[in-house]
Amino acid sequence: MSNYRLFVSTVAVLAFLAIWEIAPRIGLADPMYTSQPSRVIAASLEIVSGDGFLYDVSVSLSEFAIGFALAIGIGVPLGLLLGRFPVLRYFLDPPIMAIYATPHLALLPILVVWLGIGMQSKIAVAFVGGVIPILVNSMAGVRGVARSWVTAARSFCAGEWDVFVKVILPASLPGVIMGIRLGLSRAVLGVVVAEMYQSQAGVGNQIMRYGSEFRTDHLLFDVLLVSVFGFSATWAVRALEERLWTAGK
Amino acid sequence: MTRIDSWKSAPVLLGMLSFAVILLVWESVVRLGWANPFFISQPSAIAASLSQAARSGELWHNLEVSLREFAIGYGASVVVGILAGALAGRFRTVEYALDPFLWFLYSAPLIAFYPVFVLWFGLGVPTVIAITFLLSVTQITANTLSGIQNVDPGLLRAARSFGANERDVLWKVVLPASVPMVIAGLRLGIGRALMGVVVGELFGATAGLGFSISYYGALLKTTDMIASLVVIVVLGVLCTQALSAVEARFDSWRTGPGS
Repeated sequence: MSNYRLFVSTVAVLAFLAIWEIAPRIGLADPMYTSQPSRVIAASLEIVSGDGFLYDVSVSLSEFAIGFALAIGIGVPLGLLLGRFPVLRYFLDPPIMAIYATPHLALLPILVVWLGIGMQSKIAVAFVGGVIPILVNSMAGVRGVARSWVTAARSFCAGEWDVFVKVILPASLPGVIMGIRLGLSRAVLGVVVAEMYQSQAGVGNQIMRYGSEFRTDHLLFDVLLVSVFGFSATWAVRALEERLWTAGK
Repeated sequence: MTRIDSWKSAPVLLGMLSFAVILLVWESVVRLGWANPFFISQPSAIAASLSQAARSGELWHNLEVSLREFAIGYGASVVVGILAGALAGRFRTVEYALDPFLWFLYSAPLIAFYPVFVLWFGLGVPTVIAITFLLSVTQITANTLSGIQNVDPGLLRAARSFGANERDVLWKVVLPASVPMVIAGLRLGIGRALMGVVVGELFGATAGLGFSISYYGALLKTTDMIASLVVIVVLGVLCTQALSAVEARFDSWRTGPGS
């Protein structure tokens, strides 16, 4: 069963790679437009060994790390607070939902006007992208806590603080982690697109530069690099999430 | 707190109050000279800019261009996404073959393909449509697939044991049962498609809402920029609300848990 799955998936990917490699060779496609797996591999060696690569990666990574850390640091406490106090939630819910329904990358130009084309505007985009799902899901996590648990804790004389720390916090953790997972990919996307939009360094900056130089193979390697990063980070959070779910049962 | 909790219209009233407070604070902070209108503009100026854009027809033109790109890109992704998802949901082999590509598209920052699309389709409308399509199609495919897979096997067995053939099962059990999941996919897809339109236009376009944000941004005309942003926010809220309403309607007939 799962062997069959592995087999079909592998064949599909290999077939895709084979067609991609062969089509330009027999003249069915122009490698300048489509590139080829072999060219992408060659480009990867060139990029990784070239100078400036580590610098660009470190710029992008630190923008992401700072922005996303801020998103967690502000989104989780605020979400828990809003989940706990309905009046506050009714008051802030509409603007939050309006921002949630808006493509957060539409804020890019105004963030650039406010913060310049340096790292600050990228950190801000990563923050805005990450914070909303984290906030909304933390809020939902608190609201999903069974009322009977709170009542039970209260009837054993737990104070408001005890209820919060010992019942609500652990019980809403799955929601919080889910928010972090959803926010993660939006933050990664935010950093890369912000760098593509206007920047002086970073992987997104490289992507745009390779694009304007028609170096499709180099560009594809960078896109792949960001995808692998986003994929593995999301996967790690998901693994944590599953452990929490099973631990909670 | 419990009193407000039990008062039904409280969320709506407080929500409206919240927007009123935001606008009031925003306007007065600028009027009192505490904040520089060059950076944050002010609601009255934005309203003036919007009505000016509406009168000159610029707003309608941008809206038309963006909505057309959205309609084509999203429309195509609905057709392709539901079809691919349904095929993958019915045939194991298709699912296994699509799976790695879906995963990749799901986790890749697809907008990074923008320069490649420019190479293929040129700068402008076709590239924006391609980005819009690609961003929303994965979501719709994935949701359709899981909607079909999660149909209660008991229902399938029951239908089969009453002599339903494959086609009856598909039309009378599988499709109706997976509708809520599919609609949820359509709702999530709308958000991503809107993102595709706006971001595609930010980078290279000659008209559209995203273009006008980027254009006025380059001229440092904050007011006009925020005016376009407001239109996008309203559009996003309207689309999401509309699909949520559809979702609630389709979900109302199911009574029991599961299925």
